[in-house]
Amino acid sequence: MNATETTKLRTAARLTALTIFGLFWIVLPFWFLLVNSFKTEGAASVLSLSWPSPWNLVNNYRTVIEQGFFRGLSNSLIVAVPTILAVLLLGSMAAWIYARSGRKSLKFAYYLSILSILLPPGVIPTVYLLTQLHLNGSRLGYMLALAGTRLGIVIFMTTGFISAIPPYIEEAAYIDGASRIQVYRHIILPMIRPVLFVGAVFLAISVWNEFFLSIYLLPGQGESTLPLTLYQFASSSQFTLRWNLVFAFVVLSNLPLLIMYVIFQRRVIGGLTEGALNG
Amino acid sequence: MSRATSKATGVALKEQVTEGAGSGPPESTVPAVVPATSGPRRRRVGFSRISGLLFIVPSLILIVTFFIAPFVFNGAFAFINWTSFSNRLSWAGLGNFTYIWDFGVLGQAIKVTAIYAVVVMIVENVVSLALAVMLQRTSAVNSVFRTFFFVPVLISPLAAGYIWQAILSPHGPLNTLISAVIPGTFHYAWLGHSTSALICVASVEAWKWSGLTTLVYIAGLNSVPRSVLEAATVDGAGQWTRFWRIKAPLLGPAFTFNVVVTFVGALSAFDVIMSTTSGGPGNATTVLNVALYQQYAQGFFGNASALSLVVTGLVIATAVPLVTWLRRREVAM
Repeated sequence: MNATETTKLRTAARLTALTIFGLFWIVLPFWFLLVNSFKTEGAASVLSLSWPSPWNLVNNYRTVIEQGFFRGLSNSLIVAVPTILAVLLLGSMAAWIYARSGRKSLKFAYYLSILSILLPPGVIPTVYLLTQLHLNGSRLGYMLALAGTRLGIVIFMTTGFISAIPPYIEEAAYIDGASRIQVYRHIILPMIRPVLFVGAVFLAISVWNEFFLSIYLLPGQGESTLPLTLYQFASSSQFTLRWNLVFAFVVLSNLPLLIMYVIFQRRVIGGLTEGALNG
Repeated sequence: MSRATSKATGVALKEQVTEGAGSGPPESTVPAVVPATSGPRRRRVGFSRISGLLFIVPSLILIVTFFIAPFVFNGAFAFINWTSFSNRLSWAGLGNFTYIWDFGVLGQAIKVTAIYAVVVMIVENVVSLALAVMLQRTSAVNSVFRTFFFVPVLISPLAAGYIWQAILSPHGPLNTLISAVIPGTFHYAWLGHSTSALICVASVEAWKWSGLTTLVYIAGLNSVPRSVLEAATVDGAGQWTRFWRIKAPLLGPAFTFNVVVTFVGALSAFDVIMSTTSGGPGNATTVLNVALYQQYAQGFFGNASALSLVVTGLVIATAVPLVTWLRRREVAM
């Protein structure tokens, strides 16, 4: 056997192994989720991998939508979109200053800012603080807590990114009389778009699926985000273990992020693997 | 701490890995970016202090108010008698800790959390490293597989929990598959027995995040300089030799990063457990954060703060030595 044949054989073995593993690791769980979301309650209770028969195409999804899906969706959008945009903007503004200054006090502020990457949030005092501010149970209070705990990662990533860029263009702009805001808007922002995209991906995953803080900070049903709505739905005695409905809710609540992924998947995977520098 | 945010540091790590591969010393792979120290020449040009402050103040206020302050106060609340039954707050000393210890909550939760974190770390890193080795080269087929294995990262941990709760149930598809292979019918309640429940739930957590860990390993593998690999090939090293003698030792930074992040992230586990076992059977999967929520829901805010402080303590106590120990084993290039 010559070298090319060995390589071909090896590739075939590798792809077979990946396919078989992928079948059990990814395809079967998601297949199971999807087919059972289209079954009747009786058929879904068997928990089989079989094709739905009879099809229950709309009923499960209709029930789920009637049980507050759109309220959860709109709350999630109201919370996630402004939070992500604000964190990206405020985080990158600060990161630029941290990356360009060697002052001790700023270095201290930088390290203070990135502590939240590793350390868990103090959730009970957060409830207490928001209660004192009359924000407990409100979406605004929850958004502030989200921003406080997620700015760190954006500052960390963006500071690293900007540090690797020589400051000559900015200096030239200052000499030409540009203000700091103009430099940020017209020079920095366009340059750091790759790292902001990666940051946006992480924030989307982390904010859209956030559950730990929301269960403490959003006790009212009216403010529940999608994960919280799903949890309340699946935990209510009325729907628990009615897998056809729980699965329909799981499918619907994860659909927005999955659709975004289908649109941006090449950039997402590329950005995360090649590193933000080349993204 | 959210796993997603903490894992994002992997990207920053990768940036440094690429730089380090070319020129820098291995120190440049520390997963903590120190802001570049610019010379005084740079500071002089057009910089007014006030406008610079305006750029950092908004984020600093948000972080200090909604992360640092609660974090610091959590240390105080843990030593205060505070329940929903009384408006009076009083100094408790170690009272909250002895209370939850005497009721068996604290010891059990620490034990469960530690086992959970170890299982997540092992399962996630083994699966991800194997996938990364197979998907390392950038090709059209590999891109499809990478995209594909990343999907669980996007779904909510709660959703992952519900899917796997059904798969693992006594009459679920896993047991059906096992019954098809072995003789007789198999109806084991994976989530109904203490040990298997803990291992299964931790594995679901690993399943949910392994796509991201894989990408960090792929980035690490690709940072190994091609010239070194080519030299080895010329010298007659085969695929296995190249992996074990060259790539594996040079994978140090990515390995360090993934081991620390998977372990430390799993110490804060909550979502997957709430949607699979809610801490059961009994308290077999009641990790610290689940115990925290139970104490909070019952109105024991002081006890809840004490448990929260234990999570913080565990994170600091394991992250610092783990990073130090693993970094010492990294190969200098």
